[in-house]
Amino acid sequence: MKQTVTTSAEIELNNLSKRFDDLEVIPPMSACLHDGEFTVILGPSGCGKSTLLNMIAGLEVVSGGKILIGGVEMQDMEPKDRGCAMVFQNYALYPHMSVAENIGYSLKVAKVNKAERSERVVAAARFVSLEEYLDRRPGQLSGGQRQRVAIARAIVREPKVMLFDEPLSNLDAKLRHEMRMELSSLHKRIKATSVFVTHDQVEAMTLADRIMVLNKGQIEQFDKPSVIYNHPASTFVANFIGSPAMNLINVTGDGSHYRLGDGSILAVGSKKGDFILGIRPEHVAIQADGPQADVTYIEDLGSHFVMVAQLSDGQQIQISRPHDEETPAMSDLKIRLSDSRIRLFDPETQKAIS
Amino acid sequence: MIEKTKGVDRAANIVLATGMIFILFPLVITLVTATQSYEDFVRNGFSFMPGTHFLDNISIVIETTHLPRQILNSIIMATMMATIKCVIAFLTAYAIVYFRIRYGGIIFAMVLVTNLMPLELRFITTYQVASNVMLPVNAFLEFTGIARIIELISGHHPHYKLSILNTYFGLAAPLLANGTGTFLFRQYFRSLPADLSKAAKMDGAGPIRFLWDILMPLSKSNFAALFLIMFLGGWTQYLWPLVAASTPEMQTAVVGLARLSPGIPGEVPQYPAIMAGAVMVSVIPLLMIAFMQRHIVRGLTLTEK
Repeated sequence: MKQTVTTSAEIELNNLSKRFDDLEVIPPMSACLHDGEFTVILGPSGCGKSTLLNMIAGLEVVSGGKILIGGVEMQDMEPKDRGCAMVFQNYALYPHMSVAENIGYSLKVAKVNKAERSERVVAAARFVSLEEYLDRRPGQLSGGQRQRVAIARAIVREPKVMLFDEPLSNLDAKLRHEMRMELSSLHKRIKATSVFVTHDQVEAMTLADRIMVLNKGQIEQFDKPSVIYNHPASTFVANFIGSPAMNLINVTGDGSHYRLGDGSILAVGSKKGDFILGIRPEHVAIQADGPQADVTYIEDLGSHFVMVAQLSDGQQIQISRPHDEETPAMSDLKIRLSDSRIRLFDPETQKAIS
Repeated sequence: MIEKTKGVDRAANIVLATGMIFILFPLVITLVTATQSYEDFVRNGFSFMPGTHFLDNISIVIETTHLPRQILNSIIMATMMATIKCVIAFLTAYAIVYFRIRYGGIIFAMVLVTNLMPLELRFITTYQVASNVMLPVNAFLEFTGIARIIELISGHHPHYKLSILNTYFGLAAPLLANGTGTFLFRQYFRSLPADLSKAAKMDGAGPIRFLWDILMPLSKSNFAALFLIMFLGGWTQYLWPLVAASTPEMQTAVVGLARLSPGIPGEVPQYPAIMAGAVMVSVIPLLMIAFMQRHIVRGLTLTEK
């Protein structure tokens, strides 16, 4: 029996750009997606992430630059010749075909003979544990099974690159979690270079080897999830990742402290000048003395509290504390920012200061 | 909001029943009269007493009129019209929905405008063109001066003539342009998942393959519904077939049926036979509706997943 094992290839984007008439959707960008890596492209809607994916797939014409897959220039090739396979939002299965026909359609188009075709279809179906459903129509399957059909349809062609276009965005929260686990274990088995587009930070954090954060078609940061979370390269990334997002507070450094607008001390630090101070809500502690914060709103999420508080100069700060701490007082809260967790950003460029 | 009160229900039922009687009355008269003998009819006039001469009346129609041939004509013409309309509508909608066409919106609007221009409005010009389809070619040759050049070279002034009157094509062609089908298919295509065409492209299927393997099978119900509507539309056409077909052998069933009525002046018309003819003409559309009813509902609701 033929094993559905796929090889993988590195994707290199070289000054790749896209414009629709006068509108520049993606200014020239360069990046390298490593062999076998799971990259998540994350960004708000309209940031160009789907366009980028479609360009890699060959569904969208490239306006400038190059796409190299496995070292071969692919930007002018037909989609079927690029060695890419794609899983779509809502899966886009062919509703009138059986599961087997859905999986085998690309082979049929490629004129693979019937015997080999059915062998490969069965192998792909077995790979995603669907061999009992080969005669069903997509309409008779559950959401999870449909996703597996979509994946089998992709891997049957033995692609070097797997592309995912927000495949989980229309599922409910519970199913989404299951699908994430499945995708993750699947990637470990196929090992094809994977590119996954989403606007959901949880999907990005959990699935990715590396996350590419896109903003207005530009790469804000391209790094491991932990680095993206702990060392955001810009205020955009800081704001986009984390729930609730990182606090961004305007401060002035005098050499020993960072002070708020009214001159009161917020934290200890040696840098001088105006900064945006970033601190994650869970890195704000409550203690007997320190900068004052008046709580205006508390959300009890069961496992932890999220508090919205006002600092002495009127700026807002969100604080996240575990539930086992005693219920905090509403006013006259004293807080402390843990020094090692403080990130500074330049107010002009919005970029991180190392 | 649906109100459920007895009074309203009863009133509605009375209105519906009245409407039913109003619609069914002529049909009953037709059916009953078709079973009576001419003698009975002359003696009693229109009555509700069914007779036993239905088959006799049918054989009178078959033997003495062109109706059987004309029914065949109608089948050919209506099938031709419905088929071509479906194909054109499908392809137009495919182009509008799945390709980025410059001015696609304007083209679609113009297709829809054809619904506002029924044949009756452009009757005389249509007849002129049908009587000589080379008319535009002649006009073009004259306008550009090519006619003069041909005359200088060959000595003949070019004037081409080709009439499609009294042919099946001539019966069907002027009625082919119609935006309804395009609209129907366009709406249906837009209700399909947008990524379907991308998925097909990734699977290596080109535009024609996608059309054939994916879009056509998915549109089966729409085809059936549209075909039926267009077939019935073609079947009941009266004015154009009346003008475009000049011999009884080329006329359509509806035209032929209308020609049956006037008998010899002063004599009572052969109504039983005429009614039998009317029954014959109605049978085929009725059968089509009966067999395709399921598809029509599915094809017109657009909610298929």
